[in-house]
Amino acid sequence: MIALELAGATKRYGRRPALVGVDLAVPAGAALGLLGANGAGKTTALRLLLGFARPTRGAVRLRGRDPYEPAARRSVGYLPERLRLPGVMTLHHFLHLHGRLAGLGAGDLQREIDAVAETTGVRERLGERLDSLSKGLAQRAGFAAALLGRPELLVLDEPTSGLDPLGVRDARDWALAARARGATLLISSHVLSEVERVCDHVVILREGRVAAAGGLEQLLQPGETLEDAFVRAVRG
Amino acid sequence: MSPGLRGFVALAAEAFRDGLRRRFTFAVALFLLVAGLGAESCTDLGSASFSLNQRSIPPEVLAGLVAPLLLGWQALAVLVITGVVAADHLARPLVEGSAALWLARPISRDVFAAARLAGALGVGLGAGALLLGTSAGLVVARQHLPAAPALAAGLATALGALAVAALAMAASLVLGRSAVLVLVLGGVPLVALANSVTLVGQLVHPDAELGGLLGAVDRYGPPLGTAIVAALAPWNPHVDAAGTLGPALARLAVWAAGGLLLLALAFRRTELE
Repeated sequence: MIALELAGATKRYGRRPALVGVDLAVPAGAALGLLGANGAGKTTALRLLLGFARPTRGAVRLRGRDPYEPAARRSVGYLPERLRLPGVMTLHHFLHLHGRLAGLGAGDLQREIDAVAETTGVRERLGERLDSLSKGLAQRAGFAAALLGRPELLVLDEPTSGLDPLGVRDARDWALAARARGATLLISSHVLSEVERVCDHVVILREGRVAAAGGLEQLLQPGETLEDAFVRAVRG
Repeated sequence: MSPGLRGFVALAAEAFRDGLRRRFTFAVALFLLVAGLGAESCTDLGSASFSLNQRSIPPEVLAGLVAPLLLGWQALAVLVITGVVAADHLARPLVEGSAALWLARPISRDVFAAARLAGALGVGLGAGALLLGTSAGLVVARQHLPAAPALAAGLATALGALAVAALAMAASLVLGRSAVLVLVLGGVPLVALANSVTLVGQLVHPDAELGGLLGAVDRYGPPLGTAIVAALAPWNPHVDAAGTLGPALARLAVWAAGGLLLLALAFRRTELE
């Protein structure tokens, strides 16, 4: 089953193309790294996949549905690149609201909140306002919201942004744990070493087009790192 | 409860809390206090006698003049308050980016917009219920006027607030906050003025019609003032507005439905950051 799909997806902002005829399919349970230089179209691709924007041309499918349909976004965890938390809320209230919108029942909600808060190391901060959290803690809070309800699909845009080295390792562990329980992962990141450790497939975008795509073992030539393959694909 | 309704309730409650946290709400609270004191004073005619051109004015006639004026301007203030809250109640989470967090969940655009609208209406109509309820209570208790016109005015205010808030929210998706505020702060009084001038003209000459811009606003715009004045007219025995309230409420309902439709269509087309 295909969890995420872009078929000939083109997105233009005015006359400027952000994505041009991109084909991308992520099987359920796979972990795909979406790579590219700044402005290559990674975040645009994620916005199309989550139903935040419509393609100018082509089709977008999230679990076989139009991502604009609420049912397509059931059991999706999302961590945006520019995480803007509603500062006046407490972390507990933020997670509580996320849980309710995710469809968690009253019985499961508190247990789930406690579990993700424990996992992401923010349990002691549940009563604090979001605008009082440091950048790293805010990123952990964003992760907690994304992981709430054990989503089947986890979309992470620059997930290690603002995290210290310990946080980076924790984030990798959370992603790997999600993958181990069968979740599909889509990670957009500039930190190639982390993508290499978590993902089994990679798509490299260049100026809105797919420059390279495939399994890691297909993309990497003998002795190459992902960084080498990335530079080769992006520089052409 | 369906997932959509559960999501709406959760988001609407948050939108209401969000509305209460706004700095503007402090101004609203201050306004309520001052307006409440004004209502307390205006409704207390006591045992004084009033005369005009050496003709004594019976207290019930005076009450029938003062009470509609009092509740009328208060109702218009409620419309403005609701419009101001709605002016960025949906646009702000879009600009700030927090809307994307909620809309990544299985929540439709329509449910999210409706929840933000409900939050803005909660603040505006909550203030309205407090203010109009207090004033109407004082008028009914002190001047012994019937309560039904006040209830009808409450309905007209609620419908008007829905229309104003939905239109302001839809406009906020394409215009900046300042522009929407200008539309609300200019538009509501303009409509009320057009409605009032027409109604006063019709008191003098029943077939009188207002021309020009004000006439067009009165004929085709949302009858915000007409509905409220027509609802309160039974308090004044010298004003015959029978037959005006029903059509005005119906036209206001059409404007409210149009505003909701416009908001839904505009938000479905809005792209999130």
